[in-house]
Amino acid sequence: MYKAVIIGGSAGSFQVITRILHSLPPTFPLPVLLCLHRLKHVRSGFVEALSIKSAIPIIEPFDKEQIKPGKAYLAPANYHMYVELGNKIALSTEEPVNHSRPSIDLSFVTAAQVYRDKLIGIILSGANRDGAYGLKKIKDLGGVAIVQNPDECQVRTMTEASLKMTPVDFVYNTNEIIKFLQNIKA
Amino acid sequence: MIIRYEIGIVDTRNVIKMLLDDFGYDFRDYALTSLKRRLEYVITLHALRDAEGLMTRLKNNRDFVDQLLADLIPETTEMFRDPSFWRILRDEVVPELLKGSPSKPRIWLASFDSGEELYSLSILLKELNLLDEVSIYCNALSERTIQRITSGRLDPKDMEINEANYQRFNEKGKYSNYYSAEGGTIVFDVGLIKNVTFLKQNTLIEEEPGAAKLILFRNQAIYYNQLLSEKIFAKLSNCLVAGGFLALGIKETLDNTNANNKFTIYNDSERIYKRKTT
Repeated sequence: MYKAVIIGGSAGSFQVITRILHSLPPTFPLPVLLCLHRLKHVRSGFVEALSIKSAIPIIEPFDKEQIKPGKAYLAPANYHMYVELGNKIALSTEEPVNHSRPSIDLSFVTAAQVYRDKLIGIILSGANRDGAYGLKKIKDLGGVAIVQNPDECQVRTMTEASLKMTPVDFVYNTNEIIKFLQNIKA
Repeated sequence: MIIRYEIGIVDTRNVIKMLLDDFGYDFRDYALTSLKRRLEYVITLHALRDAEGLMTRLKNNRDFVDQLLADLIPETTEMFRDPSFWRILRDEVVPELLKGSPSKPRIWLASFDSGEELYSLSILLKELNLLDEVSIYCNALSERTIQRITSGRLDPKDMEINEANYQRFNEKGKYSNYYSAEGGTIVFDVGLIKNVTFLKQNTLIEEEPGAAKLILFRNQAIYYNQLLSEKIFAKLSNCLVAGGFLALGIKETLDNTNANNKFTIYNDSERIYKRKTT
């Protein structure tokens, strides 16, 4: 019933993401899009670090890469990552948004426009407001909006900004996010 | 600038049609998501309210199209983007260009750069004392962009990023040698680009310098769909001499394109290809 999961995170989200990726079944039926704030000039190392414990392959995609279920796509350093019609990745070097490139808002908005009510959006710990507008767009277009419980976040700014901007479906601790994803059927 | 206007698919197609029918600029095979976003950016930037407002402006003021073209193409927001690419270019590629070349090797900056790539390239060549030993051709879609580049006023978004990139490119160099700060405005040394030939292009890049030894085309095909990518890569491939180099953005690939069999990969992580001999 769903077509994709998209996750946005910034400061304090690395361990949460690692736990989520570790807990997914290897046969996870959806693609996972990851937009995480990262150092722009450090190109390598991040995918490798995330991959160590991940149950599904993590790819830092090339432009126009086909999006496939059971794989995670990490937005590359210093590019915005969009979802393009035809279920493809599109990259952009446009200006940073919310001081961020990749910007979570842009990934979320473009994913929402393609997957509409078949999209699950998750905002994790972070120190700025990026992602709040994107999560609202997912909700507006009928998708599922999940926010990590701010009380559990290392930095609560991003989750609180999201909760302020849109009535979300679930406020979950990491364990509950994992349980929710594990129960997704193709 | 926060963009909250959203253009619909019908309006997007209407603008594309107008740009083609009334002005001859073909955006039909540009990547839709990015193009929509750029139109939203232009409409917000010029307070045109919506697609209707944009089309009315174009109808009433045909000169506005040049402004539109300048704004539609995303700026290259930093100089020496991917410093390691520029190091490889300096240390490995450029020396190759000069080998056995009776005439000045041609370098074609084929992406629609807003000046940052061109100045980065020129600084690199100047530091090798090769500025007068090569011919540089630079594509441009709008007159405004050419003026911006030739005036040296690039409107850098963040000089700290430029400088940090440059320092990673050349830790012993001094970035401030290449610009002056006049009353708060940064002006780059236009002497760096005095020999550059600008090629005024349409959206499909139909002018070409011919017999290029190096083509820089970084982060441009990301704004094309598959069809247009194929066409342009075929064109670039034809314009390169055997053994010539093609540099793409570090997250771009020729895999899955017909041009792929004309090239071998020369540097994988910096996405530099070499044109095969046959």
